[in-house]
Amino acid sequence: MSTVLKEAPAAKSASKRQPFVLKGVMQAPVTPLHEDFSVDYDGLEKMVNFHVVNGAPAIAWPHHKAESPNLTMEERKKGAEVLIKTVARRVPVSIFVGSLSEEDSLDLTRHAEKAGADMLLTISPYCRRPTQEEIFQSIVRIGEYTDLPVLTYNSPWRNGEGVEFTSELVARLIERLPNYAGMKDASFHSEKFTEISRVALRMRPGFSIIMGLEHLLASYPLGACGSFSSCGAIAPNLCNRFFAALEANDWDTARTCQYKITKLYRLFKDQYPSSLKGAMISMGRNAGPIRLPLPTASKERVEFLCRQLEELDVINTEPHGW
Amino acid sequence: MSIFKPGLVHVPVTPFKADQSIDYDLYAKVIEFHLKNGADSLAVPMQPAEDVSLRETELRQIIDFAIKQVKGRVPVIAHVSDPGTGIAVERARFAEKAGASAIASHPPYFWHPKPSMVVEHLVQIGSATHLPFFICTPLVEDAGTHLTGEIVMDVIKRLDNIAGLIDSSMRFVFMAETISLGREVRPDFQLLSGTDFMVPNAAVGGTGAFSPLSSVAPKLARQLYELCTKQQLVQARALQEDMAELHHLVKQGGRAGLKTAMRAMGRECGDPRLPGLSLGEPMMSQLAARVAACPYLSAEPRGW
Repeated sequence: MSTVLKEAPAAKSASKRQPFVLKGVMQAPVTPLHEDFSVDYDGLEKMVNFHVVNGAPAIAWPHHKAESPNLTMEERKKGAEVLIKTVARRVPVSIFVGSLSEEDSLDLTRHAEKAGADMLLTISPYCRRPTQEEIFQSIVRIGEYTDLPVLTYNSPWRNGEGVEFTSELVARLIERLPNYAGMKDASFHSEKFTEISRVALRMRPGFSIIMGLEHLLASYPLGACGSFSSCGAIAPNLCNRFFAALEANDWDTARTCQYKITKLYRLFKDQYPSSLKGAMISMGRNAGPIRLPLPTASKERVEFLCRQLEELDVINTEPHGW
Repeated sequence: MSIFKPGLVHVPVTPFKADQSIDYDLYAKVIEFHLKNGADSLAVPMQPAEDVSLRETELRQIIDFAIKQVKGRVPVIAHVSDPGTGIAVERARFAEKAGASAIASHPPYFWHPKPSMVVEHLVQIGSATHLPFFICTPLVEDAGTHLTGEIVMDVIKRLDNIAGLIDSSMRFVFMAETISLGREVRPDFQLLSGTDFMVPNAAVGGTGAFSPLSSVAPKLARQLYELCTKQQLVQARALQEDMAELHHLVKQGGRAGLKTAMRAMGRECGDPRLPGLSLGEPMMSQLAARVAACPYLSAEPRGW
């Protein structure tokens, strides 16, 4: 048993936190880096503030888009502190605690709670094809280690076929964990999504199903409350307009927005988030390079992305600079 | 070419006798059931009809039989998918002569050709006839080369008679990419749901749906389809969840699930053809009882 596991759960601080409802296109900032690849914490402050000022209904960090597997535990803790301090309770903050080692995840969990996070996001154990029972027990250990609301990240594509949160697993977790509050769903699949939403929302009506990216149009009518964002650092106005259209059931406008977001994501998805950071340069928000093994966007790629943003009428319709 | 919009497409199963031969008398009943219960079009023999278990000659016979039985009351879409390009091409030509209203094919099973060869396969099938041509995604996506948005776009650019995509992948990103990019090239390009998950398809801009569960719950399929057509997508959620629950139940029965559910509704169609296995007891009775207990099926027709 590790030191982390032996220690008591973090001091209860739920009374200081305000209740919140998750909805909208929530922003998950990239991690700005200096040219020497060290974390640019001042840049992270600017990035977070940019999202809050531009309408983000919640902030979540460090998702994979923030290169979380390439950050040290120390960097993740310091980044979380910077993030929570910068947001200053203007919107809810979620901290991602998934890591290769469950003990590191528990350590990050305790740290995030002490630092003042509003909720936690965790994932099925990485890189080892866990069984449904192993996922269940791992999530239970993390969920019982904190008083914070816990979200789980369902990403069959990243974790391998069969490594996912099935509706049966979600039902077991809802029964077991009173603080199991929602799911970041990146299955992006009609059957998988409907099965989870059908089961989870009947058992726990306030359960928040948040799409992993803004592929939200297909799932919103079936109970998704919002999404995290791939293109919010480029086009926050588009994200906000998209969700407003969904809430108004204005499907024509929502489709127009979804199609544009889909085109943006086609630009970014290869070696994500390399091209996203490359495109941010054209918007006056240089977040620096990408850590290896991912590539930093080349000068030619940045120029190509800039032309694409012009063609998509993003450059002139979205905020420039920080 | 005028635009062919299939609407709500019913997907009949293939009934088999105890000796594994096709029961054409019963197949006629199956077709009449679908015509009586709301089919705007029929598609034969799609995957729920166990198309891959049918012999080469049977694949043609069943298309011919269905068209003759329907007698022009609704359009019949002929599914001609095959691993061999030439075989699929000849089947498409046969279907056109037999009187089919449209052709559907997915990329070849078994082989894993490069995307450019998948494009060539689909273009040859599509150009074999003058009928509207629908690309469909295979139910088992990894049993061949994945159908990508790029492949679909290349086919759209090369075929004048391309009508749309029948999507059973249920992948949100693929659906949105395909319809948004496809309509830039071909404004009348259609996205049809290949499954009973109609709401996500309608939300991203799709029209039309192929309904495997119309064999079990044709009224539910019609109601769900109508709400999707009217873009009452939030209102359609409850029906979509009922349909999803039914899908989940049927799926638990594997290849025999659909016919077991039909049996529970009083429409016996025999067992799946080998190598597909009957569920056997007690699983068959358990699944039938669970289907029969679904409250939303109380309004559905029993028997033929």
